[in-house]
Amino acid sequence: MSTMSARQLLGLQARVIAALVLRETRAAFGTSQFGYLWAIVAPAAGVGLLVFIFSLVDRQPPFGASLALFFATGVLTLEFFTKLSNALMTAFDANKALLTYPLIKETDALFARLILIAATYALIMVLFYSALTILGLADPPAYPERLLQAFGATAFFGFGFGTINAVAISLFGSWIHIEKVLTRPLFFLSGIFYIPSLLPPEVIAVLKWNPILHLVEWMRTGYYPNYESTVINHAYPIGLAVLLTLLGLTGERVFRKKRV
Amino acid sequence: MIELQNVTKSYHLKGVHKTILDDLSFTFPQSRNVAIMGQNGAGKSTLMRLIAGVEYPDSGRIYRATSVSWPLGFAGGFNGSMTGLENARFVARIYNQDTEAVIDYVKGFAELGHSLNLPIKTYSSGMKARLAFGISMAIDFRVYLIDEITAVGDEQFKIKSQQVFSEKLKNSQIIMISHSETAIRSYCDCGLLLAPDGVYYYDDVNTLIADYKMLA
Repeated sequence: MSTMSARQLLGLQARVIAALVLRETRAAFGTSQFGYLWAIVAPAAGVGLLVFIFSLVDRQPPFGASLALFFATGVLTLEFFTKLSNALMTAFDANKALLTYPLIKETDALFARLILIAATYALIMVLFYSALTILGLADPPAYPERLLQAFGATAFFGFGFGTINAVAISLFGSWIHIEKVLTRPLFFLSGIFYIPSLLPPEVIAVLKWNPILHLVEWMRTGYYPNYESTVINHAYPIGLAVLLTLLGLTGERVFRKKRV
Repeated sequence: MIELQNVTKSYHLKGVHKTILDDLSFTFPQSRNVAIMGQNGAGKSTLMRLIAGVEYPDSGRIYRATSVSWPLGFAGGFNGSMTGLENARFVARIYNQDTEAVIDYVKGFAELGHSLNLPIKTYSSGMKARLAFGISMAIDFRVYLIDEITAVGDEQFKIKSQQVFSEKLKNSQIIMISHSETAIRSYCDCGLLLAPDGVYYYDDVNTLIADYKMLA
């Protein structure tokens, strides 16, 4: 038998990732059929609760006519990033048993989790925005293609961030706690319940270093027909995503032997 | 063909340094069944994991120009919260096998009955071994890597696995780790001994077993 052709290798890779996605779905959402439903309902309920709390404080949405829509564009983007990077961060450890099978490489687990979580959040967003539209709380998105780009950019950045953290954790186990501390303030720093462009310049000067802020702004410029952002820089989150992904995958390759 | 070229493998864990293989070059003889013997901690399982490709050597190369199974041991790559059937389906999928054919085979072979629908975490180690053995036998490998897994189950099951195994061995070979003289004698016709001062190849199992006993 000779070595495998590129086509056979691609086929193998696709097969392994597909099998892993099915396995991960099963592991992530439990035995019952309600498991997956719950994964979709929970973020929606979270946004609902936020809307409720903020509407008690101030009924006026920061932008547009709907408080729910404004929060959703922020919270769902941040949650997608957080869920993705957390899932990737633990992917190596959670899949140790899988490495019994020589066909499966650790990067396959990363790709499988990316696909699963991106699909889940795409579904969540479609359902949530459709529900808002049907209830008359929002209009359909003004620039769907920008929404798609923003979604893709968030997935890419989450992948890079999660991968590099996965490598960091495999080398230095306590990193998982440090990462939690570092990412906790994101909820307040990402423009979820305010419009970043309206902040004082000295605050913007600091906040603009947060890539999630740019991703949230990207979502909003895609959803609203007239959302003007003076802060947004599309190249920044994409550039960081490229850098983190390259470093993460290189790190995975370099430290592969040490991790086993 | 499986060939090791200048393979070195060592571990550093918590300040302890242990060299398991030091510049080992070895070509596994084709169509012969190879035993791997050695004391606990000598690195038998590590060698097997290197052959399978689930672990990497520090330096050197390992060539596998044949289809090699995963190392069949008690600690299988099962997901504890998934059922036996789901795990079997998963393995069938990654090896590009007909999932239903694999499941039919496993049902007939492993004799786990309704337990196949229960999560793996409820299985005894014997049940897990039977499942792992059944799944691997459902897939046609040229080389089966067996890590101490032959003697599971009751007498009847042992006889059955031996029959299936002999059938498989007509077209496949095995590389087997075992401490059991009987298992080595009944399946292998040559072997490697992982001794403290190096790795030795034996062309017949009698000398291998004799020298293995000298180690103890």
